[in-house]
Amino acid sequence: MLMPPFELHRPSTVEEACAMAASLIESGQEFDWIAGGTDLIPNYKWHINTKPHVISLARIEGVSTISMNEIGCMARLHDIAEGGNAHPLISEAASKVASSLIRRHATLGGNLCLDTRCFWYNQAEEWRSSIDWCHKCDCGTGSDCRVIPNQNTLCVATYQGDLAPNLMVLNATVHLIGPKGARSVLLHDFYQLDGMTRNILEPGEFMLKITLPDDVADWTGSYRKLRVRESWDFPEAGAAAAWKKGDRGTLRVATTALESIPRRHDEEVASANGDVKAICDAIYKSTKPVNNTALPPRYRRNMIKVLVKRACEE
Amino acid sequence: MSGGYKQQPGGGGNETRKDGKRVAGKQSFSPPGSGGSKPEMSPRDLDFIPETVGGKEKQPAGSHIHDRARTGTTVGKRTTLVDANAKVTGQAWYGDDVRLPNAIIGRIVRSPHHYAKVKSVDTSKAEKLPGVLAVATGDDAPNSFGVLPVTKDEHAMAVEKVRHVGDLVACVAAIDEATAREAVSLIEVEYEVLDSIHDMKKGLEDVDEPIHWRGKYHVGTTNVQKRVFQEFGDRSMVENPNASYHGKWKFMGVNHGFTEPHAVVAHWDSNGRLQLYTPQQVPHYAHRALATVLDVPMHQVNVIRTFVGGGFGGKSDPFPHEMCAAILSRKSGRPVRITFDREEVFWVNRGRHPSHIEVQMYADEEARISGFDIDALIDGGGFASFGHVTSYYNGVLATAPYELGSFHYTGARVWTNKPASGAMRGHGAVNTRCAVEVGLDDMSEQLQVDPIDLRLANLLPPHSRTISGFRITSNGMRQALQRVREGSDWDNKFRKLPLGKGIGIGCGFFISGSGLPIHWDPNKFPHATVHIQIDMDGGVTVHTGAADIGQGSTTAVAQVVAEVLALPIEMIHVRSHESDTSPVDLGSYSSRVTFMNANAAIRAALEIKEKILNAAWDALGYHPDTLVLNDRRIYYKHDPAIGMSYLQALHKAQEDKGALIASGAYRSPPMGGVHKGAAAGLAPAYSFSAYVAEVDVDIETGLIKCTDVWAAHDCGKALNPMAVEGQIIGSCHMGLGQVLSEQMVYGRTGHLQNPNLLEYKIPSVHEMPNVTPIIIESCDPEGPFGAKEAGEGPLLPILPAVVNAVYDAIGIRVNDLPLTPDKVWAAIAKKMKLEGIDDPADLPVPRLDFSELQSKLVARAAEHETRDKRRQKSEDTDAYVNGVLFGFDPNVPLEDQVEGWMSSDKPTPEQLAELGLAGTAWLKEEQRNMGGGN
Repeated sequence: MLMPPFELHRPSTVEEACAMAASLIESGQEFDWIAGGTDLIPNYKWHINTKPHVISLARIEGVSTISMNEIGCMARLHDIAEGGNAHPLISEAASKVASSLIRRHATLGGNLCLDTRCFWYNQAEEWRSSIDWCHKCDCGTGSDCRVIPNQNTLCVATYQGDLAPNLMVLNATVHLIGPKGARSVLLHDFYQLDGMTRNILEPGEFMLKITLPDDVADWTGSYRKLRVRESWDFPEAGAAAAWKKGDRGTLRVATTALESIPRRHDEEVASANGDVKAICDAIYKSTKPVNNTALPPRYRRNMIKVLVKRACEE
Repeated sequence: MSGGYKQQPGGGGNETRKDGKRVAGKQSFSPPGSGGSKPEMSPRDLDFIPETVGGKEKQPAGSHIHDRARTGTTVGKRTTLVDANAKVTGQAWYGDDVRLPNAIIGRIVRSPHHYAKVKSVDTSKAEKLPGVLAVATGDDAPNSFGVLPVTKDEHAMAVEKVRHVGDLVACVAAIDEATAREAVSLIEVEYEVLDSIHDMKKGLEDVDEPIHWRGKYHVGTTNVQKRVFQEFGDRSMVENPNASYHGKWKFMGVNHGFTEPHAVVAHWDSNGRLQLYTPQQVPHYAHRALATVLDVPMHQVNVIRTFVGGGFGGKSDPFPHEMCAAILSRKSGRPVRITFDREEVFWVNRGRHPSHIEVQMYADEEARISGFDIDALIDGGGFASFGHVTSYYNGVLATAPYELGSFHYTGARVWTNKPASGAMRGHGAVNTRCAVEVGLDDMSEQLQVDPIDLRLANLLPPHSRTISGFRITSNGMRQALQRVREGSDWDNKFRKLPLGKGIGIGCGFFISGSGLPIHWDPNKFPHATVHIQIDMDGGVTVHTGAADIGQGSTTAVAQVVAEVLALPIEMIHVRSHESDTSPVDLGSYSSRVTFMNANAAIRAALEIKEKILNAAWDALGYHPDTLVLNDRRIYYKHDPAIGMSYLQALHKAQEDKGALIASGAYRSPPMGGVHKGAAAGLAPAYSFSAYVAEVDVDIETGLIKCTDVWAAHDCGKALNPMAVEGQIIGSCHMGLGQVLSEQMVYGRTGHLQNPNLLEYKIPSVHEMPNVTPIIIESCDPEGPFGAKEAGEGPLLPILPAVVNAVYDAIGIRVNDLPLTPDKVWAAIAKKMKLEGIDDPADLPVPRLDFSELQSKLVARAAEHETRDKRRQKSEDTDAYVNGVLFGFDPNVPLEDQVEGWMSSDKPTPEQLAELGLAGTAWLKEEQRNMGGGN
């Protein structure tokens, strides 16, 4: 595998980063952000949607805070998992990501903005050419989706991040910044259903940090991840649940790796009146995984019942 | 002088550090034979000298022909592999580490189609690209090759057709990788796409355009590459069985998953000879194929085997990319390096065949195994590779360790438009073994007996013959079963564990070297040759062609030479990398190296020993029979004060002659039957193994976690127990991958969906159970110091042990490997529906109440144990052939005493009507019988 050539920019402040992004946009140049690189670099080596410019956030200071109420975009997953400063649920989720080597590099921002995955897409260039490409990376051929041919233009690649559902159930807010200024949204409004656009980030914008509500320390919960191996593997399905200690009525549930977005299931929880089995069934009904990860969708869909049940266990 | 040889300046006299380790750069022994700081040699290590020659090493299996060559130096001792330092310090040079001046980079143009005719290849644009130094296509290498002489169906690059996605079409060499990749994209190939075949069952059907054409031997117009029919014994015995098992199994293909991707460097030197650096398991076959394809004599090719970063069978074919590198190098006049991406490793594959295996097994009223019926359809992918042999192994390697009333096997290997399957650790034996061992478990349940006792009461003894005519010599199967039963506390666990926890047993049987060298008559030319040379310095240089692929063959050779000559292993230098200097060795496959190469090395070392002792005889006046060779000193047996140093004796022996040299060779004894295919599965010895596995099954998700394995393997004699344990644990890991998670997934469109190590799921350290390796030493009469193989056999039992343990845990047998959680979950869901259960926690767990057969089996096993011990020690040397258990006379041909006892290699017309899936390949005629086939 040969890394395609690109120009690496290394700003040392947020402002500098935004200015670089603005000037690249202005000159019509495409670029990617890079944080830990554990998602982007493998994709680049496979020549997937490579760009001529890459802006690294690694030299920016002050964006790797880890505290109960705030985590910076460059906080390493290893530090979130082992540092003892983050919320226990977030630490638990971070400790289940990939492998220890990858966690040393991988960051919060990178994990939340993880590219969506699909076995028709996460392949070497030669391989993708043998299937005549797919619409997530069509190399100018205008080709169709390989998972569900002849559908509309929506990409159904699966979002397989571990942290997002956990932050969602803790009501995290993401703080974005870009050439047009800063803005904040709740994490569960951050993602977009199309596996190509993935989220609401606009050109030049990047995720600066996440914040958690003031009372988050009073909340507890757990995360269940389905995977074949206890290391390396992305979740084939994942369920996070959280509730305020001593108050099960506050239960929130979110899932990941079932669709092109992680999703919080407020409606399903509300409709079930606190009955965990009913929550499981409602989520089962509302989720429709497709065949693009290692395990078959029917199984993953059924497993969400088990995972949600287990995540809700006190 | 003190402290031994100094290899670095400075430093004090101490040669060991405070922590007891050796100071880097200093030998831990004194100058050999010269006295030095330790004028006294170390005492003989009687614990490692056999009882029969005056030592203390116990010999439960009796004496061995090599006992007199034992000096207590290294054999049987835990010995660090001699190449360990190179590997752990990063100094080992693997294929991609070879850097020659002015080397350029080669890349391969691969087919994007499953199956297509190559109409034209236009290389003109690529050739014009600055930096491109050579371009080659199929026209540059029209000669075909293949690892087996009977199936040479490969070309360096496509000459007419491409047969799978990733098949080679052309290649380029350029000044760097980026230029080479760009050049690849500039090569324009015009294809005519053909109808491809992906389902191996379709391979049995007649088609317009078979993937290969075998002329008059082609079976109809199908894609059947090889078909096998074998039947032995009295088929009437399977009528009215007391218990029977019928299992239809599906096994997904698996890849070796070695760490080092293929890499090759080719260079035509100043004299116009090809120097080819490649991580090959079988350099000799690559050597032959290169000469054929390049149209040069073999002596104009020097194959240099680099360190091999894992082989497992996946680096034993001569490969087209090796030819490509040589062709590009010849054209460009520059050294050319080609290194694969992981996708390319999967495209060249040669992994275990995807298989459909149907097994029917029968037991009679005395719980004897009255018959095995095996039908194996195996998916060969686009090329033959080792498939001819695999087709046999899927059946014939199931004929032991049990005594059978009859054996019936039909096998077929078909071509499909996938990367080629080939040889992989446990070649051909693994899948059928799994099905058969699970069948035994199932039958033991029907018979209400313990599956271990069922096995113990049906074993072939040492020094016997299988139903197919294989010659069994040493046999440690019984001890293996007994030791794992004891170690795992089996009797308190089997069928007694709670739902979700299970324990299971599986056995294995494997060849220790294939009996016949495929390229020549075994009676005329040896399997392995070893040269030894000792010059004035006293160091021993050993030349061997045996390929160390991580299994430790270099260490094994160094050990046996050190043992015979009683020298520290540091004085033995093994040179095994170059075909220019190494005598021909057939390579590292079929678990043959330790058995054959170490035997050859012992012979060469004995010759050297004789020369040195004769010199000592001259000097000391005592006959060699009364001289003892020990740690760099030779002395008179009855008065150790009379003696001389090794170096003195050596110099005496070198007078007038210079360096001592000796050559030793190994040839297998004549053996085997005369039926078609009789040679397949023949080996000078066989290994046996028994594993018990314990699993936890998550009954809600179907996830299986293997927690503990007790792994007993009969390797004859552990030359290096540490290496044997490493092989056992490594085999467990590899087999566990196949049974739990590894699979090559071909999707809806026939593309390999997971050609990378994230989605091809090799178990991680978290999935590894606690493995307790148990070494059984049955002391093989023909093995080097009694040794047999330990590289492949230990893989076999883990699969059935896990499948049987899963049944013990949840009462469900899944006959579709790997047992991924979705399959297990689906099976649980199906069972719950069948039983009308809502909660998986209510699943019934299998329990066992013994029938009266159990005590009969225990008694029979006890009798057999006595019999086996006597046979093992040669106290009982009566003939024993498969069939004695059924009351037949081993001294009269079975055909003469049993009506209906047959040995056939073709189905009768009546049998044609009732053949299994693979057997239907026999419904077609060969072209020569149809008047066609040109």
